[in-house]
Amino acid sequence: MKTPVSVLRLPRGPDPNSRGFDPNSARFLALCPTTVSASSAADAHGVALRDEQRARSLLRERFLRSLLAMCGRPVRFSMYEKVQVEAKFGASDIDVLNFQVSDLQTPIGVQKEALLRCPDIITYNFEI
Amino acid sequence: MAMRQTPLTCSGHTRPVVDLAFSGITPYGYFLISASSCKRYPCLLCCFSLDGKPMLRQGDTGDWIGTFLGHKGAVWGATLNKEATKAATAAADFTAKVWDAVTGDETLTLAHKHIVKSVHFTQDSNHLLTGGNDKVLRIFDLSKPEADPQEIAGHTSAIKKALWCNNDTQILSAAEDKTVRLWDRSSMETVKTLAFDVAVSSMEYIADGEILVITYGKTIAFYDALDQRAKFSTVDAPTSIHSASLHPEKDFFVAGGDDFKLYKYDYSTKEELESYKGHFGPVHCVRFSPDGELYASGSEDGTLRLWQTAVGKTYGLWKCVLPEELVSENSDTLYCPATEIKA
Repeated sequence: MKTPVSVLRLPRGPDPNSRGFDPNSARFLALCPTTVSASSAADAHGVALRDEQRARSLLRERFLRSLLAMCGRPVRFSMYEKVQVEAKFGASDIDVLNFQVSDLQTPIGVQKEALLRCPDIITYNFEI
Repeated sequence: MAMRQTPLTCSGHTRPVVDLAFSGITPYGYFLISASSCKRYPCLLCCFSLDGKPMLRQGDTGDWIGTFLGHKGAVWGATLNKEATKAATAAADFTAKVWDAVTGDETLTLAHKHIVKSVHFTQDSNHLLTGGNDKVLRIFDLSKPEADPQEIAGHTSAIKKALWCNNDTQILSAAEDKTVRLWDRSSMETVKTLAFDVAVSSMEYIADGEILVITYGKTIAFYDALDQRAKFSTVDAPTSIHSASLHPEKDFFVAGGDDFKLYKYDYSTKEELESYKGHFGPVHCVRFSPDGELYASGSEDGTLRLWQTAVGKTYGLWKCVLPEELVSENSDTLYCPATEIKA
């Protein structure tokens, strides 16, 4: 009987929690252009880079705090196909790909629990 | 000592894998993209409720890198550019999408009038060729996405596959109307038409050597890509074949179809060398890697499998183990499968 070829391990499967494309992979770091010029400037340790990173962290923190502020509040979503719905915001997933909402008001009734796809959302607003 | 092939199963798709494509060889290795559709129900509505998620994998190991999220419904075609920096997908939601294959972000959505089945980049990645159920070939200029695409009409039924050939100066298309046509890109006219008794199931174009691999019924045929009337050879397989691929060095070709098996043939003698069981459903697509060391197959069973060309060679995740090493104490890092392994 023939011996089967040995393998070191099995191929890694998809991560259930993210869509992948690891930003720390060698390929990503080498090929990904940043949107702000300071990061790609030759003077990588300069003042401009520091300011840019500070601005990025401020904006990111502000966005995350805005998501926190939304929790439990009614939010109005404007989506594609001229869809306007209102729901109570629950949480976002880690990649901000889905929003978990409750009591989603739709033209065909109120959905107790729902998941909204973020790529389908154009704008959303709520009151603090 | 003869070794038995151990296919590597890549899971992740929950639906049939209908198309796969390799990139060229890049400084980071080579990559593989796979597309999955929905279950093959005759009703069109079903396709929209099941997501087809194209996935990018490292070509030599099958390791998942990322999933392209955005299409609503079955994805019928997927391709990568040579450098694996861009991906394109064709879907049942009437759009073709272009993606950044490094970040996974969607860069363009190209609207069509019906299901899109096939996408293909030019060598310089600046133009995308699409074809689908509305029977029209379209060429999109990716530097001017808002401009209307060039349209080439002529096929009388749905287009299954469209490829650039002859240095992107010509286009090859296969349709349900049982023809394969060669078009001139500048004049947009048909240069040649090949007619068959049945619709062609797959087409592969090998630029180096100008060979066209066409499968229809149980036949795998090899044509001269520059003069399609010149048929180099044909081979009949034991089963209806859905896809075939020629090795870059033209030593072998592989094929798969309805009986779930992968067949390997010698290209010069056309002799069947081996057949491999493994898939639990019909094989829809099969392609050799750009270095020829492995081939990937996609099946109705929702998996992608990687197969070694030279069985037993150390490559990717496969490790050549000498008989003495198998019984030594240091072999516990190796995974030695006694039976079929599932990821």
